Amino acid sequence: MSYFLQVVINGILLGSMYGIAAAGLSLIFGTMRIIFLAQGSVIVFFAFVVYFLFAKAGIDPYLCLLIIVPFAFLVGLGLFYALFQKATALEDKNVSLLIAVGLMYLIENALLKAFSASPRGLNISYASAVLVVGSIRIAYVPLGLLGLALASAAVVFVFLRRTRVGTAVRAAAEDMEATTLQGINSVWVCAISFAVGVGLAGVAGVGMSTVYSFDYSFGFTFALKALIALTLGGLGNVFGALAGGLILGIIENLTAFYISADWIEAVSYGIFVLVLIFLPQGLFGKRGLVKKV
Amino acid sequence: MKSADVPTTGGLAYRPRRAGLGRRNLSWLGVAVIAILFFTTLPFYYSVANGQLGILFFLVFIYGIVAQGWNLVAGYTGQISLGQNAFFGLGAFTTGLLWFWNITHTGYWFDPVLMILSLLAPALLAVLVGLPLLTRLRGDYFAFGTLGLGMIIQVLFLNGGNVTGGSQGKLLIQVMPKGVTFDLRTHYYVALLVAIIATAVVYILTTSRVGLALKAIREDEVSAASHGVNVLKYKILAFAVAAALAGLAGSIYTYYMLHPMPMNVFNTDWLFIPIIMVVLGGTGTLIGPWIGALVVEFIAWYGEKYFPGWHPVILGVIMIVVMLFLPSGLTGMGENARHLFFRRGSRAR
Repeated sequence: MSYFLQVVINGILLGSMYGIAAAGLSLIFGTMRIIFLAQGSVIVFFAFVVYFLFAKAGIDPYLCLLIIVPFAFLVGLGLFYALFQKATALEDKNVSLLIAVGLMYLIENALLKAFSASPRGLNISYASAVLVVGSIRIAYVPLGLLGLALASAAVVFVFLRRTRVGTAVRAAAEDMEATTLQGINSVWVCAISFAVGVGLAGVAGVGMSTVYSFDYSFGFTFALKALIALTLGGLGNVFGALAGGLILGIIENLTAFYISADWIEAVSYGIFVLVLIFLPQGLFGKRGLVKKV
Repeated sequence: MKSADVPTTGGLAYRPRRAGLGRRNLSWLGVAVIAILFFTTLPFYYSVANGQLGILFFLVFIYGIVAQGWNLVAGYTGQISLGQNAFFGLGAFTTGLLWFWNITHTGYWFDPVLMILSLLAPALLAVLVGLPLLTRLRGDYFAFGTLGLGMIIQVLFLNGGNVTGGSQGKLLIQVMPKGVTFDLRTHYYVALLVAIIATAVVYILTTSRVGLALKAIREDEVSAASHGVNVLKYKILAFAVAAALAGLAGSIYTYYMLHPMPMNVFNTDWLFIPIIMVVLGGTGTLIGPWIGALVVEFIAWYGEKYFPGWHPVILGVIMIVVMLFLPSGLTGMGENARHLFFRRGSRAR
């Protein structure tokens, strides 16, 4: 039983990373109605930035958040205005989707060329510190991930519920045309939600650099997991996406423990397809949303 | 639905164009004949087995076959499949493993039985995956649902133990049929033949009533369904044909590599590069994938020579730039600007 509990807790901790990434995807989907497939590669890019800040300048990864998050926000704004502004206005979402596919390929190969294929990981001094509660041992570093996820959720909640821009983003997610008719600049709303989504990718990049050893191709795997988490939580539901990430983490850890780590991808993909067939609106999504959009 | 003042270009306003009627079609027929003549006669005055162009054109054909399949499902039907590497790898492994374990007892060089089985297996997989993914109205589900497919199928072959040979795969050179010499000229001709067949299949499908249905789905799914098009059936058909073509390409590639490894044949290059080829050449056109395949392979070939490692980055930039500024690709450059890439009329949001 304590094994089971241990596995579940580790799953929640690691899954919080998927949750952050999926929440970013969900925000972007909410307004722009596209799945930003390059999210995983963008996360790995930020993980590399954190790696170099740590290795060259000796900045603690959690302190890096202060640099990475504004930087990621600006990168998001830049990406939106350079690549997606025109495509978002189109009725046809395949254009944005293919731009995202191209961006994913571009980032992945640029990282490969620039930093070689060798995996990187941070040597943090407190990596082996462990919190012991009864018979359960929790390392502080993965615990930090959950902290990051909860903090991001709080920030996104405040952003969506308590700010004027956030209200506009929510309105746009409900009905973009009606929002535009109210005099809200739809381009600006899309840009902001895209930038916040990429900002969350920055947070996920910090988290990734502290736990995983990552290389250029890790983004592809990670994008998949974020997408599965997104589907579990329900498209367009930011907090559902976070919860979906936690659930996916639990599923993955249980698979690794009771079956084999080799089958993680196959099991999570199987669950993804099952959810798609039987619960297309996700575990927390509103019924009917899938039919509407 | 949109209000009525939006002009609809969707639905069945499109009519299939038949070949051999207009001057335009005749000129395209001429281009096709010249290209086929050039490529079939090339080995007579150029040593494809030793020269660089032989292997380059062989790769153009292989990638082009995958690209032509993707073109059918994405360009003509409007469904962005991101699982072509799964089908390519499955085709390669179907050929490789059936050959290694001598299950069909045929044992020819470029065994037609194995090639047909390598075509059927991915098509079957496409139907199985397509059923849950394509019933959803939203195309995004299809795009990201297929994205993981290559990785998942790869897991099966990685963990197959002695049957699949794990990460090392099986060395097929040990089981070469007797009396066969490895001659790249054979590969060149087989790949060329399949490339022609692939193009012909896409041509026949897109100029028939099936093509009409596919384009109707691309333009407006709701309208197509309301006009009596069985949307799911045609989407799955296009997806399965695309998968079969990718599997066939994988099969030929196995006869060239003689050592299919999961890392190689499920590589995401088999997904991304055909997409870049189609987008660059012109989506939803018959000739586009081939122009794209030629240009991309030349860039990759000479890029590797002069700027090693940089050409994927260049290709990524090309893809984004083309999507932003030249959405109809190279073939569309001379075409009327109105014919925008994947242009849709009204679509339910």
